[in-house]
Formats: sequence, structure tokens, C-alpha cells
Amino acid sequence: MTQSKLRFFSISLVVLLVVISTGLVFGAWYLKQLENTVTEKFEGKKWVFPSKVYSDSYLLYVGAPLRFESLLEKLRRLGYYETAGEPRTKGEYRISRSAGTIEIYLHDFDYPTEQFKGGPVRLSLQGNSLSRIENPATGQEMYSLELEPELVTGLYERIWQERRLVRLADVPPLLVKAILAVEDERFYRHHGIDPVGIMRAMWVNLRTMSYQQGGSTLTQQLIKNFFLSDERTISRKIPEAVMALIAERKYSKDTILENYLNEIYLGQRGSQGIFGVWEAAQFYFGKPLSDLTPGECALLAGLIRAPNRLSPYRSYEAATRRRNVVLAKLLDDQIITRNQYDVALREKLPQRALVKVSNDAPFYVDYLRRELEENYSNAVLTKEGLRIFSSLDLQLQKIAERALVEGLNKLEAAHPALRKGDDSVEGAIVVLRPQTGEIKAMVGGRSYAKSQFNRVFQAKRQPGSVFKPFVYLAALMYGGQSGIKYTPDTIVNDSQFTWTYDGRDWQPSNYRNEYFGAVTFRRALENSLNSATSRVAQDVGIRRVRDVAHRLGIQSSLPAVPSLALGAAEVTPLEVAVAYSTLANGGVRPRPLAVRNVIDQNTKVLEKRDVRSEQVISPQLAFMMNDLLKGVLDRGTGAMARRWGFTRPAAGKTGTTNDYKDAWFVGYTPDLLAVVWVGFDGPSKLNLSGAEAALPIWTEFMKSATANMPVTDFPPPAPMPANEDNPSSCPPGQEGLLAPCPPAAVPARASSEPL
Amino acid sequence: MAGFSRIYFFASVIAVVVACSACEPPRPYRLPVPPSNNPVLRTPPPAPPPPPAPPPEPPRKPLPLEGTIREQDLQDKPLPPRGAAKETKESASLPSTSEGRAASDLTPLPDDSSLLAKITPGVTPQRAASLRLTEEGKKLLDAGDPVKALARLEKTIVIDSTNPYGYFYLAKAQYRLGRYRESLNFLDIAESRLGNEPFWIAEIHALRGDNYRALGQLQRAEGSYQQAVRLNSGNRTAADGLLRLQNDSSTAGK
Repeated sequence: MTQSKLRFFSISLVVLLVVISTGLVFGAWYLKQLENTVTEKFEGKKWVFPSKVYSDSYLLYVGAPLRFESLLEKLRRLGYYETAGEPRTKGEYRISRSAGTIEIYLHDFDYPTEQFKGGPVRLSLQGNSLSRIENPATGQEMYSLELEPELVTGLYERIWQERRLVRLADVPPLLVKAILAVEDERFYRHHGIDPVGIMRAMWVNLRTMSYQQGGSTLTQQLIKNFFLSDERTISRKIPEAVMALIAERKYSKDTILENYLNEIYLGQRGSQGIFGVWEAAQFYFGKPLSDLTPGECALLAGLIRAPNRLSPYRSYEAATRRRNVVLAKLLDDQIITRNQYDVALREKLPQRALVKVSNDAPFYVDYLRRELEENYSNAVLTKEGLRIFSSLDLQLQKIAERALVEGLNKLEAAHPALRKGDDSVEGAIVVLRPQTGEIKAMVGGRSYAKSQFNRVFQAKRQPGSVFKPFVYLAALMYGGQSGIKYTPDTIVNDSQFTWTYDGRDWQPSNYRNEYFGAVTFRRALENSLNSATSRVAQDVGIRRVRDVAHRLGIQSSLPAVPSLALGAAEVTPLEVAVAYSTLANGGVRPRPLAVRNVIDQNTKVLEKRDVRSEQVISPQLAFMMNDLLKGVLDRGTGAMARRWGFTRPAAGKTGTTNDYKDAWFVGYTPDLLAVVWVGFDGPSKLNLSGAEAALPIWTEFMKSATANMPVTDFPPPAPMPANEDNPSSCPPGQEGLLAPCPPAAVPARASSEPL
Repeated sequence: MAGFSRIYFFASVIAVVVACSACEPPRPYRLPVPPSNNPVLRTPPPAPPPPPAPPPEPPRKPLPLEGTIREQDLQDKPLPPRGAAKETKESASLPSTSEGRAASDLTPLPDDSSLLAKITPGVTPQRAASLRLTEEGKKLLDAGDPVKALARLEKTIVIDSTNPYGYFYLAKAQYRLGRYRESLNFLDIAESRLGNEPFWIAEIHALRGDNYRALGQLQRAEGSYQQAVRLNSGNRTAADGLLRLQNDSSTAGK
């Protein structure tokens, strides 16, 4: 019996030993795992930084057209806020409508090539133009001023954490003390977990029978934010406590504190989460940490408990109460003096309209992203905190989007037959600055939420009559094979005819089968006469027409067949925009630019895309084409735009395909060009012309978009200098093709010539 | 003691004289150049004057692809080696040029380089703002910062796309960045937007010459320099360019 008991005891002991040693081994392994996790986080990459996309900056100059309302809207979008007194801190502005002035204290901004230090400026307006820019402090006059680019969106995965890292030494001691006072006052006296704090929190919670206090140390909070979820369970609390102990054993208090100050969540701006004290100081006060007052430090420290509920932007009263609690604690702990306390209590909390960053240009950003992905992986774009500067003008983008959506709604209302169930009528609009090729706005469809297909550059559609100017340009440039030298007054025949090409017959027909007989070259283009255009194309040669289209900027492959003259080949709206920009820009073809600069977190320029232009046709020819296309708006198929109130000098062309599936309008002033396409994605027919479907949208857009631009006309080109010593060596028939023709002594520079 | 002072005095005089003779007089802005019917390139003159110091010029190296331009590509480049042009053979057999113009015609044009002087009461606000920004870009170029200058100059054509000087300095910035083809493109545009302004047309030809020279196309460079000099004999860029071509050709001849 005794022996059996002994045996039982021995076996139990062995089992116990085995269990204990297994437990110890497992425990040790588990601890090691936790330690590895903590080490990996502390010593590895702790945070991801989404890339940020910026719009173009906004240039103001003396004499520029400017309205109060549009400037104020711009300032508000940039996060400036109005004050009653003289602006004294960055981000403030004051308006005096009676004096016609607006004073702004400009933000700092890191441009790709230089750092701008913000300061005070005063703008004076006379009527609707900017009459003076000066520094109000010194009275020194300035001639131009750049307002910083707007943040368009971030490129991120799952959530957008906005954060800028800061070193502990750069955080004001008062802010640190305030945070420790309210979150973990025994931080420098515990080893990761604080039994005293836990007991006190339990006592308070028991006494009030509610959750009033947490016993988590700052280290535990950091561990929780780094690794764990928000749930308050034992299964989460135990590893949290163990990891806090490990972290405290391995790292100094200052390292933990610095990580905490960079990690904490302190608010929300739209889809953008505000993390870390640096970002919070910017978000709430628009100032660097070093400028924070005691009251502001107390507000930030108080926010940690519930950043959204206690936000001054949500509840002024709740935020004030919380700040005052923190200030009282600081006074009790003798961190601030009575005088500082009294002053801080009187400080007003920030109260301004919150600028929510929402992606207002999703199609544009998709286009940018596609361009960027050629050089940067998705991981780099979403985690490395690149700053991407674009050509986007958010104001034009909004106008374009509104014009397209409202225009299509009106179109459907006027033509109920367009409502075809799932296959709803779609549209696209792309806006370029012809001088530089900058893509200022892009709307790739009616609703990004419904379809992300970007019709501006992904949809290849027949351009119809939008292609015709290339025929007329080729005719002016080369003349006809018959020997005719075309001018705007040349008489061409607009009657039915058959073009036999490669043994096949092709017979173009006019709109509504109306033919006008002998018409001028100018009228044939203004009224978009198919038959006359085809005759001109036949005389010039379809290959030359094709070459001219390519020269201007069409990149899609174009078959050299007769129907090309009437736009039967497929192109994208963006290509059309580039080609017409060449005309608008006096024969200089720009390359389209959406991405301008990419810089990394250390402000190192990774990529820079400059304006690149090439004179591809002479300014004289471009001027002549612009004059012809002005006639389209003044007298021809686009004349309705004038009746709808768009009166400034402009040129343009309607486009309707033979099968009535595509409606286009391309139009431009010397400073702004917009292409509008309307049609169905599917096989449905629109049965409307470009003038009916696309022109109203273009007109609405241009009326609003150019309201703040100076009225300019296409400048006549400089006369070609006659130079006896420098006889032209242009090939016969190509005089004026490129300006000026190279001198006989120097061979022409071939465009394909290698560097 | 008196003898010692006398020696001191004479030594000082000699030192001053030597120092003065060592210093060349400052070069005028427009260096008069010999008439262009002088066969500058083919037959080097018997006693060629010392070549003037070449202006800073970027090296001839393959341009980075646009999409992969990095900051280091945007830095100012060191001077290229003299005579590094690919066309040494060509330069040795450059044709003589016959301009057929009297030397008396080749007078320097008055300096028209001030852009601020072009802001007169009749100038539109767009042109005035554009000219001021062009002047800023020009100063940045002079300060050796073509990257910043480029950013500023691009704004000039946004405000006023008819401003030929904006395009000219864009061309200059591109040249400084070693993008010669881009520079030539902008020069074409600048020329097409200029009126009857021989001073500026000469500037354009001269910069075109610099670009061609940098590309190793010496024959074209010479043609462009000659055109510049014919329009404005005081165009120093062209004069310097011709002398450098001459120097290159004589170096290659040896």
C-alpha cells in the first residue's frame, strides 16, 4: 500500500515535472516569440507613410483677373481661416471688402525645388483684378505670389495614417509632462506595468461602479497600438503586459516615450487619420510643436483619451472642459504656475471649418497612378511617403465634373430615348493648358463610384469630324497633288463623288444628305461638309493627312484609307486634346503632363518632368487653322456656344461619327483647351450630333473655367524674316512647314536624329 | 637705412608694374570679333590669340531617361574636356564660310538684354508678370541654379505663352542641364515668337550654336555662330563659340 502510494506519488511527480518543464519550455519559447515581435517592431519599420498627391500651385500676379469669392474658396480649401483681427499666425486671413483688400499669413510649404517660408501679404483688388501685392509689415511691393498646392488625396492601403516623425528632443517638455500627467504619471517609476496604477484605477472604477480610469501604462498603450486590437479582454491584456515588460527591459524610457508620441492617434480629417503629436499640432493649431502654448499642450494631452469625442472641431464645450481638467492637474502637480494656468484658461480653442481631404479627382488620380506605376511599385507608393506634385487644377476639375454630370443629366431629360437601362449615356472631359501640355482636369466618366473606366485615355473612339482639321491643315501645308495651293478662300466642290482606292469604291455622304456645290475651303470646314472634305483629302493624299495627324500628336495607328479623312480611325480624347493643343499653341506640340515632380520623405527629387515642346508646324499655319476654327464657333457648327453666352475668342470643332455613336466637341482659347466626348460604352447609338450632345457641356465648362482668365486672342505670328544671306532650303512644297526653314548651308535637323 | 628704403621703393614699383602687366584689361561684354569672311575654322591665323575661358558647359553624356531622372542628374555638370567632340574629322575639314559682308556693317547692337526695361506702360499685365518672372529665372540661371530657374521659367509661358524671352531662357536652362535637343526645341519656339529683334535673334543663334557644339555637330554650330555674329557682331557667346571651335579644330589638327 505504502509502496503503491509511493509509486503513485512518484508518477505524479514525474508527470508534474514533465508538465512544469513543458510549461517552462513553452513559456520560454512564447516569451522569446514575444521578445522577437517587440524587437522587430521597435527596430524595424514601425510605420507606413502613404504618398500624397498635390495639385498645381496657384499663381497670382499684379493685373491678374481675380474675384474675392474664388480666392476665398481657394484659401478655405487650403486650410486658411478667417480672423477678425490682423493675421498674426500662419493660416489666418482677414478680408476688408470696403477697402478691397485681403490680408493673408501664408503657410510654409516645401516645394520640390525650394522651401517657401510663409509670411504676411496684403492683396488689393480693383474691380475684378488684382491691383497690388505687398508685404503689410514693410510695405514692400511684390509682383507675383504663389499659393501652395492643395492636397488632393493620399495613396494608401486600408487606412490613411497621416504622421510626421519627431524626435523626443523636439517635443516641448511641457507637452510631454502634460501627457505623462494625464496618461501615466508614474511612467519613470514603473517597469512597463504599474500595480499601483492598476489598484488605483480599480478602486476608482469600483467606487463609481463605472469605467472611469484605465490602469494601462504608456508602454502598454504603445504595445497595444503597435500589435493588438482595442478589445479589453484578459487574453489581450496578458500578452500586452508581458510585451510591455519586455520592451521596458530592452529599451530606454525615452525610446518608448518617443515612439508613443509618434504613434498616438489624435483625430480625423475625412479619410485621413491624424497620428503623432507633430501632425496633431498642425491639424489643430496649424503651427509647429515649438510654438505650442500651455493651453494647447493641455488640449493635445487631453485629446488622447477620446480624440474624436473631445475634439474642439466636434464639441467646443467638451474640449474646453477636458483641457481645463488637464490644466488643473498640471497646476496641482506644479508643472505650470498659477499665472500660466490663468492665461491658459482664457485661451480660445481652435474653431474653424474643417477641411476634409476627399479625393475630388479620382479619375485624374487613377491616371497619375498609372503613370507612376511605371516607375514605382504599389508598396512604394503606399508606404514610402512620397509627395507627388501634379498639374491638376482642382477648381477646373470641379467645374469639369459638374459640367459633365449636369450636362448628361440635361441631355437625358431632353432625350428620354437615351435612357437605355444598364447602358447609360456616358461622357468624358479632359482639359489641357496648350502652352505647357499640363493636364489641368480629367473626368473619365459620369460616376467614378459606378465605373472606374477612364474614357479619357482608356476608350478609343472614332473622332468623326474632329479629325477634319487635319485634312485642311495638310491641304494648306502641302497643297494638292493636282497643283492647287489651298487657301481659306479656295473654292472646293461639295457634291457627291466616289473615291476609288485600292480597287474599292468609297462614297462619303453629307449630314442629312445636303450638298452645297461650290463652297469656300473655309465654309467647308466651318460647316463640316463631308463631301468637300473628302475631295480635299483625296487631292492632298490620305498619307499626308495621316502624317499631319501624327505630327500634331495623334499616337494611335491610323490606316491610310479614305474614310480616315472623316475620322473613321479610333483615338482617345487625350490624343485629340494634345493634337489640338498644338494648333492652340502656335504649332508647338506639348507633351501631356500630369505628374510634375516626385519627391521622397527627405525632399530628394526622385523624378522631375519638365515642360517639353516642339515646333511641329509653322506658327503661320497654326494661326491660319485657328482662324478657320474660330469660324466654326462664330458661324459654323459650333455657333450655339455663342448664343449660350461663351463670347471670348475661341476656336473649336464639332465631331459626330457616321453611325451616331460618338459626339465630340474640341474647343480652345489660347490658354485653355477642353475636349468633350459623349456616347455609350456599349453598342447603343446616341443619334445626336456633337453640337447637340457635347457642345453644351463644353460651353458650360468653358464659361465657368475662363471666368477668371484674361481675355486673349490668338496672337498673329511674327513675320518670317526675309534673309538674303540665308536662302531657304525647305523641300519644294514644304515652305513654312517648320519655322523657320533651315538655311541652305546647314542641313535640316531631322527629328529622329540621335543625341 | 635710406638705401634700404630705396630698395624697398624700387621693389614695390617693380611689383606693381609686374602685377599690372599680368592683369589683362577686363573683357568688354561684347567682344569684337573679326569679320566673318575671315576663314576662321579652316586656316588658323599664324599667331592665334589665347582662347578666352569657355563658359561653363555641361558634359556630353547620354541624357537620363525622363522617367528616371534623379537629383544627381539635375546638378550642375563639370566642364567637358576640350575637343571631346565626336566629329574631330569633321571639324578638321570644316568648309570655309563666305559671308560677303563688309566689316563696317558688323557693328555691335545696343544691349537689349534687360527684360525689365521692356515693361512699359502699354504692356499687358500678363506680359509684365511674365517678364518679371523671366528676369527671376535669368538671375537663377546666372546664380548657377538651372533646376530652380526651370521651375520659375515654366510659369512665364503659363502666364504669357507669347513671351519669347521666357522660351529663350527655358532653352538656356535646358542647355545648362545638358538637354540639348529640348533646348533647341525651345529656341525654335522663341524664334517663332520674336518680332524684328536682331539682338535677340542673334542670342538665339548663339545658343543654338552652343547646343550644336555640345552635340558634336560642329558644322551646324559654326553656321549658327556665324548667323549670330552677322546679326550682332557684339554677341560674345557666338564670338567665344567661334574661337572655341577654332581652338578645337587647331587642337585636332595637331
